[in-house]
Amino acid sequence: MSVGIRATSGWPWWASWQGIFRFEAFVSAAIGLAAGLAWATTGGHFWPAWVWFGLGVPLALQGAVRWGLRAPKGERALFVHAAISFALAAIQLTIWLLAGLGYFWPVWSILGLGLVLSVHFWIVRHRPNAREQALANRVDVLTRTRRGALDIQAAELQRVERDLHDGAQARLVSVAMSLGLAETLLSSDPDLLAELLSEARSTTLAALDDLRTVMQGIQPPVLADRGLEGAVRALALDLAIPVTVTGGLAGRAPAPVESAAYFTVAECLANTVKHSNAASAWVDLRHQAGLLSITVGDGGQGGASLDGGTGLRGVIRRLQPFDGKLAISSPAGGPTTVTMEVPCASSSPRT
Amino acid sequence: MRVVIAEDLALLRDGLSRLLRAHDFDVVAEVGDPEALAAVLAGTPVDVAIMDVRMPPTFTNEGLVAAIEARARRPGMPVVVLSQYVQQLYARELMRSGAEGIGYLLKDRVADVRTFVDAVRQVAAGGTVLDPKVVAVLMSQHARREPMGRLTAREREVLGLMAEGRSNAAIAAKLFVTGKAIDKHINSIFMKLDLPLAHDDNRRVLAVLRYLQGGSPPGEGNRQWPLPGT
Repeated sequence: MSVGIRATSGWPWWASWQGIFRFEAFVSAAIGLAAGLAWATTGGHFWPAWVWFGLGVPLALQGAVRWGLRAPKGERALFVHAAISFALAAIQLTIWLLAGLGYFWPVWSILGLGLVLSVHFWIVRHRPNAREQALANRVDVLTRTRRGALDIQAAELQRVERDLHDGAQARLVSVAMSLGLAETLLSSDPDLLAELLSEARSTTLAALDDLRTVMQGIQPPVLADRGLEGAVRALALDLAIPVTVTGGLAGRAPAPVESAAYFTVAECLANTVKHSNAASAWVDLRHQAGLLSITVGDGGQGGASLDGGTGLRGVIRRLQPFDGKLAISSPAGGPTTVTMEVPCASSSPRT
Repeated sequence: MRVVIAEDLALLRDGLSRLLRAHDFDVVAEVGDPEALAAVLAGTPVDVAIMDVRMPPTFTNEGLVAAIEARARRPGMPVVVLSQYVQQLYARELMRSGAEGIGYLLKDRVADVRTFVDAVRQVAAGGTVLDPKVVAVLMSQHARREPMGRLTAREREVLGLMAEGRSNAAIAAKLFVTGKAIDKHINSIFMKLDLPLAHDDNRRVLAVLRYLQGGSPPGEGNRQWPLPGT
């Protein structure tokens, strides 16, 4: 799941880095040559060797790092490490040579460098390979999204149970009571009887309204009737601002994907109506190369974000089990576009 | 008045039939699926057909499709489409075949027996009856659009009640004003919507149709939605 605002930055940082390296090498060579010429005219102890050494150290280190960075991605750290180790060993050997041989002290530091490098090598070799790593990551994602999907499902069931219990069920109990009482009043109090019957009728209608609301929240009937495109068109007609629907879907996506996508569009359009101050909105739907992409946009005041409310976070959790992605672009001042993509198959249309 | 009822749930079909018979309707047939309905309509003279949106075989919107087909075969055929939920989209699809003789109502409305029976009679006579829920959404959308923007708030209210299929007397009672005041509002609506002088009932239908069309978002045009089964 990637969420964020796209930023473009095509600045090739390495190009200037290479330029600096070349320039540095050129300057070093010039200084080295000057030192050599100075020694040739004055003679004596061959001191320019130390100048050359001093100029060579930074070049050698940079060269080593650059060589190491050219290694393939998974092994880059090891190669950089090895390159620096060899460069350091070479530097010490040079110092030992220039200092006039004697006790071979670099052996200790070279042994130390070698030891650390071997440990690094051993760790890299025993690390799971890229494919295993990718699979492990996938398992992590699946575990997380499965837990999310089950959480959503449990929360939904709980909500449906509560809505039915407090709404339709309570109203039907009240209807049954009214009717029971009405039965006892059949002959004795026709006025109260009429009142009770009328009350029973209006309570029944309220129960029906409750049931409709609950069903709309579970699965909007128009989605089953007409599929995603039809349901989005129907939704667009019901909103207070004009919504243009473009594109189209020839077939039907799997039902759970349609449902998640529908609720995402509904949430985006509800946000547009509530917060954006836009005069109109648009929805674009298409399914190409196994990818369902839907964009919802408006010309409102922008500033929408995932932190604004829990609504969009909720729909992202609904999209995650299908490896869906949602991106928001909503700079202050607008416009706002929300793009979602869900990889899925599309069945051929019913005929 | 001869009625045919198409509803797959026996409980509701029987209830509807009993209710209509009690109000002196002649229920000529009660069927449970669109095929049987088409067969009845082909062979029996019927004044109005009442059908459920959701019927076999796919239990989606067969009733709506059947209503549109029936009107394609016999233009102006009065139909009352009942549903557990109402959609602007479906109301528009029904109205594409003309607004005369169309009823589109929530099943709940049957509970208000007198209004429901009136609505069926009105549709049979060529009127238009839309569910208050459809009308309410239109009301919220139309306030700032032309030519609806020309109407006063009261006139829009009257037009909304006309779309629900109420008579002038019923509108007057609902708004607690005299029938004369309602006549005045309605004439003003006809004028502002530039409706041609014609028979009053026909103008009512035209006004309602204009009202519905005002809801088309710009650019959408009259895109024909491909109905399943057509």
